[in-house]
Amino acid sequence: MDLGQVLANGIVLGALYACLAVGFSLVWGVLNVINMLHGSFIILGGYLTFFAWHLFGVHPLLMLPVVGALLFCLGYFLQAVFINKVVTAPVLTTLTLTFGLDMILYNFMTVYFSATPRQVTLDLGSIDLFGIYLPNERLLGMALALLLTGLLFVTMRSSSIGRAIVAVRMDRFAAALMGIKVNRIYAITFGIGALMAGTAGALFALVYPVTTNLTGIFLGKAFVVCVIGGLGSVPGALVGGLALGLIESISGVVFGPQHSLTVGFVVMLVLLVFRPTGLVGVKGYE
Amino acid sequence: MPEPLLKVTGLASGYGDVQVLWGVDLDVNEGEIVCIVGSNGAGKTTLLRTISGMVTARQGEIRFAGENLLNAGPDAVLSAGIAHVPEGRRLFRGMSVKDNLLLGAYLRSDRSEVEGDLDHVFDLFPILKERASQDATTMSGGEQQMCAIARGIMSRPKLLMIDELSLGLAPRLIERLGEGLQAINRHGITILLVEQDVMTAFELASRAFVVETGRIAKSGDTATLSDDPVIRQAYLGA
Repeated sequence: MDLGQVLANGIVLGALYACLAVGFSLVWGVLNVINMLHGSFIILGGYLTFFAWHLFGVHPLLMLPVVGALLFCLGYFLQAVFINKVVTAPVLTTLTLTFGLDMILYNFMTVYFSATPRQVTLDLGSIDLFGIYLPNERLLGMALALLLTGLLFVTMRSSSIGRAIVAVRMDRFAAALMGIKVNRIYAITFGIGALMAGTAGALFALVYPVTTNLTGIFLGKAFVVCVIGGLGSVPGALVGGLALGLIESISGVVFGPQHSLTVGFVVMLVLLVFRPTGLVGVKGYE
Repeated sequence: MPEPLLKVTGLASGYGDVQVLWGVDLDVNEGEIVCIVGSNGAGKTTLLRTISGMVTARQGEIRFAGENLLNAGPDAVLSAGIAHVPEGRRLFRGMSVKDNLLLGAYLRSDRSEVEGDLDHVFDLFPILKERASQDATTMSGGEQQMCAIARGIMSRPKLLMIDELSLGLAPRLIERLGEGLQAINRHGITILLVEQDVMTAFELASRAFVVETGRIAKSGDTATLSDDPVIRQAYLGA
């Protein structure tokens, strides 16, 4: 396969990875919660999109804001009702709690939606760019993934709620003195994390088959993206996502596709040793 | 005599098993600059934190502008008109001076007036305008204190509480900050100042409360108190 095609595949995949990981990174950075539910949120978003399309003929693009809203509500609810109770506890406590919640959500999805791989097939055709073959669904998925990630970036940077989230991350005592309801910001942040996961899953379902068997793999990828790019920032997730996409796509050709996942984890390990802050390790959430 | 703006009666509070305040009485009239002085660990910071709702009160009363604010929660206290500039400034790292100031106005919904207030604090502390887009925590200590005070008045409070105005700052800067506070006070904002440096506090404030081991040991006009031999010996080193 020629290099242009490999890079193009990597960038498409990388944009989706960035969108997939940015919510995980946000929640980890702001709440110090390693959200074990993240993979299931992604698959839930993918399944909702698939079944709305498959059963009722709802176009995936129309479904995207619906999935975002539903996942936001689910995330807000879980944080406000369960996770906020222990959010200041050591990270292992919240990890165990989200792991337990994940078991419930994962098994619920497997029972009611089954684990059969599902993919939305839109058949939008493809374009041929100097010999690089690009199906239009992939371009669409990539564009929307970048758009959503960009929207999150703008929200974090220049909205009142974004400033409040960063303030809570930096100093929750001082944030409370500004009149910020810290627990509410936690719930909103977790909701945004779920929203990004769900919409990423919806976009994934346009390009690749999704199944509950993938929740763990998606969670692992989100983890790798955060470590490669740097935790808790949108640019970090973008760089990490694109890096992982390219790593997987290139190593898939060099070592064979069965090894691409392993190579991603190896790169993460190497980075942990030599540059633990990630490629763009920033202190603030910018 | 009209009812004081802030009236604290028999306030008791603390952290966990440790009780810090043992029945504090305090009043602040509208338009005044009042200071709370006392040594380390006397309970000054805890008193401010209890008023602003960051520490839960166990007993007593906090009345502000006719409203009962005891354990009302920090956002309700701020909405009622009390802003708290915390000890150590606690500016938000990684955020610009302007974003820090805007966070001070977080509860306000009048966006256009917030812009006007930004100009107002930039007039008050021009250095903040120069540094508007700089990471607030990379400024000097004095500039950070200016930013923290400016962030406090961005909420348009009736009462501004400042914890340790002068801590770790050079005398010239303290003087500059004092001038700033007097200007803020002239604009109609009442000020409650907590200070370890009694000399500075007495220069700025018209009345003082002396806190010792969680109780008010003495109170009165700063002019009278600075002639009190006990106060002079304990706090003014003379």
